[in-house]
Amino acid sequence: MRKVYLVLAWALVVEVVIQAGAIALGMGALSHHVSEGGVVDKASLEDRELSWVGEIGFPIHFINGGLVVPLLALALLVVSFFAHVEKGRRVAAVVFVLVFVQSTLGYSITDSPYVGAIHGANALLVFGASLYAARLARVSASAVVAAKAYEDARS
Amino acid sequence: MPGAELRERTEPVGTQVAVPRISLPRKVIASVGAVCLATLIGWVWAASRLPPSWSVMEMGTVELGGHSRGHEGGAAAGRVGGTSVADLTADPTRPADVALTLVARQQRINVPGGVDVDGYTLNGTSPGPTLRARQGQLVQVSLVNESVADGTTVHWHGLDVPASQDGVAGVTQDAVPAGGEHTYRFVAEQAGTYWYHSHQVSHEQVRRGLYGAIVIEPATADEGTARGGPVTRDVIALVHQLSGQPTLNGRVADEHVVADPGEAVRIRVVNTDDALMAVWAGGPFTLAAVDGTTLTGAAEVAGQRVDVTAGARADIVVHAPADGSSVRVHLGGSRSIVVGAAAAAPAVRQPAQVLDLLTYGTATPLGFDAGAADRRFDYVIARRPGLVDGRPGLYWTVNGRLYPDVPMFHVSEGDVVRFRIANESSESHPMHLHGHHVLVLSRDRVPSTGARWWVDSLEVAPGEEFEVALVADNPGIWMDHCHNLPHATEGLVAHLSYDGVTSPYLLGGHAGNRPE
Repeated sequence: MRKVYLVLAWALVVEVVIQAGAIALGMGALSHHVSEGGVVDKASLEDRELSWVGEIGFPIHFINGGLVVPLLALALLVVSFFAHVEKGRRVAAVVFVLVFVQSTLGYSITDSPYVGAIHGANALLVFGASLYAARLARVSASAVVAAKAYEDARS
Repeated sequence: MPGAELRERTEPVGTQVAVPRISLPRKVIASVGAVCLATLIGWVWAASRLPPSWSVMEMGTVELGGHSRGHEGGAAAGRVGGTSVADLTADPTRPADVALTLVARQQRINVPGGVDVDGYTLNGTSPGPTLRARQGQLVQVSLVNESVADGTTVHWHGLDVPASQDGVAGVTQDAVPAGGEHTYRFVAEQAGTYWYHSHQVSHEQVRRGLYGAIVIEPATADEGTARGGPVTRDVIALVHQLSGQPTLNGRVADEHVVADPGEAVRIRVVNTDDALMAVWAGGPFTLAAVDGTTLTGAAEVAGQRVDVTAGARADIVVHAPADGSSVRVHLGGSRSIVVGAAAAAPAVRQPAQVLDLLTYGTATPLGFDAGAADRRFDYVIARRPGLVDGRPGLYWTVNGRLYPDVPMFHVSEGDVVRFRIANESSESHPMHLHGHHVLVLSRDRVPSTGARWWVDSLEVAPGEEFEVALVADNPGIWMDHCHNLPHATEGLVAHLSYDGVTSPYLLGGHAGNRPE
């Protein structure tokens, strides 16, 4: 279970990197599309077909952020109860809360664009907390290895 | 001693960390918990599964709108007894005044000015031919499905036709299979701008080309007036996103309407897309009609834009400039029509201010008392994660419930019916009721004081609440859904049913009816 915890924590770290990359790709592609004379309006946004280069960045960001990342955070929280990771539960709970806040902020951006600034900053907190969770699991892992070595030596 | 050395080195670690061991009781609890959770998930999943076919009559929650009548027949009676929706037809003995054949094909669409795409056509083109009739004429349309594999239908969007002619697969007819034919007959009772489109797998078939315009001229020869003069030119503007290409009347190009200086031109704007479209112009214009209904006392608009709901129509009257130049009318972000003698006209910035139809025009007497409603319903839209037909997703809810557990609003013929439509979700919804026009009474409790604002498609923005009223004068089973068509596939659909009316058709079933 500790290994699962470790993998989930690293997956969350990687997901934040993917999220940052995807939205930057989308925004870059959007400016490119507009600078080439393309137009974006509500009809083109609602058209679920991808029609310009790099537009894929947006659906990646939405699907990852709306579904994959929250599920990973939930899984980490559940696994933390079975994985013997020191402070693992507490950190997993923090990650989960941060991810919940992050999704809520994401869904609120259209209504209140300034929320976007917090959304970006909070992403760094998700990244940091997940990285910390991964380190905790590794520290616990090395402690276990050492403890096992000790037991072996005693017997 | 080597052992003592090792002990000295490793003891601090050994004392801090216990070797992980999960105790037996904990294992048992975890296993029982996991089995219970799996059973619960399995049960919820199985409960959300839809049968291979089901009747719209047995679907959802019966809502009586505070009325005791309604249990007899209708929704409670299921598919037997009462009047079948199939029997609600136009006079079968009356000969047709206007006849049209529409041949539906699944093929590559020629897109002038753009890239050809795979889609659907009617009589070889997308959009299909414009259906033109005069008010009061009986229209007969033969639909021939030559090759649309999923089957197809035609829905007359905005025309309050008899229920059997509404073209909704699985509710008012079976989808017409490839190789099949179906005849629609109805009297064009309402003058104005309308459109037709497929209502079988509509989120796919409409998007990929199965649509066209309808123009019903008034019964009298009156062509409409503006600034006291007649409107002498009349053009259609079907705006549609086709595989990412913004099209106007099927072409990826703007249009030029040659008009003499001072001449009045009516542009019949049809928003065939899934999203709100802004319309604005480089000069003053008049919003003459919305969803086919003339707005009385409509004044010229300047410095404002008109927001046209998805599925809705707006008749814009614009005058060619008197100095011989032209004026540009913008239809959404991408397309425009230039009106006047000159082929070019400057593009203008989109005005920030939206023309508010609550106060536009002048009020006229109403033929019914909207305050004394026989039925009052709520149509509250929200969104939550859930399972529909075994598939997890983020689904729309109507009054807190997921598809297919959505309301069946029950009315009797002659009722005055009020709806409170509230959008508690974070996306806007263009709500479309079939078979009726609804009168907007208020928005966010601010009453309508302008021209009578009758709509068949109403944009409800996040957080907004509308009060609308209708007179139940067209018996049938009517869809009441979001015209952002993918939203309908995600559960944003309910029905209005009349006392004693039943539907013999099935969703799913042998015809593969999938109206959304």
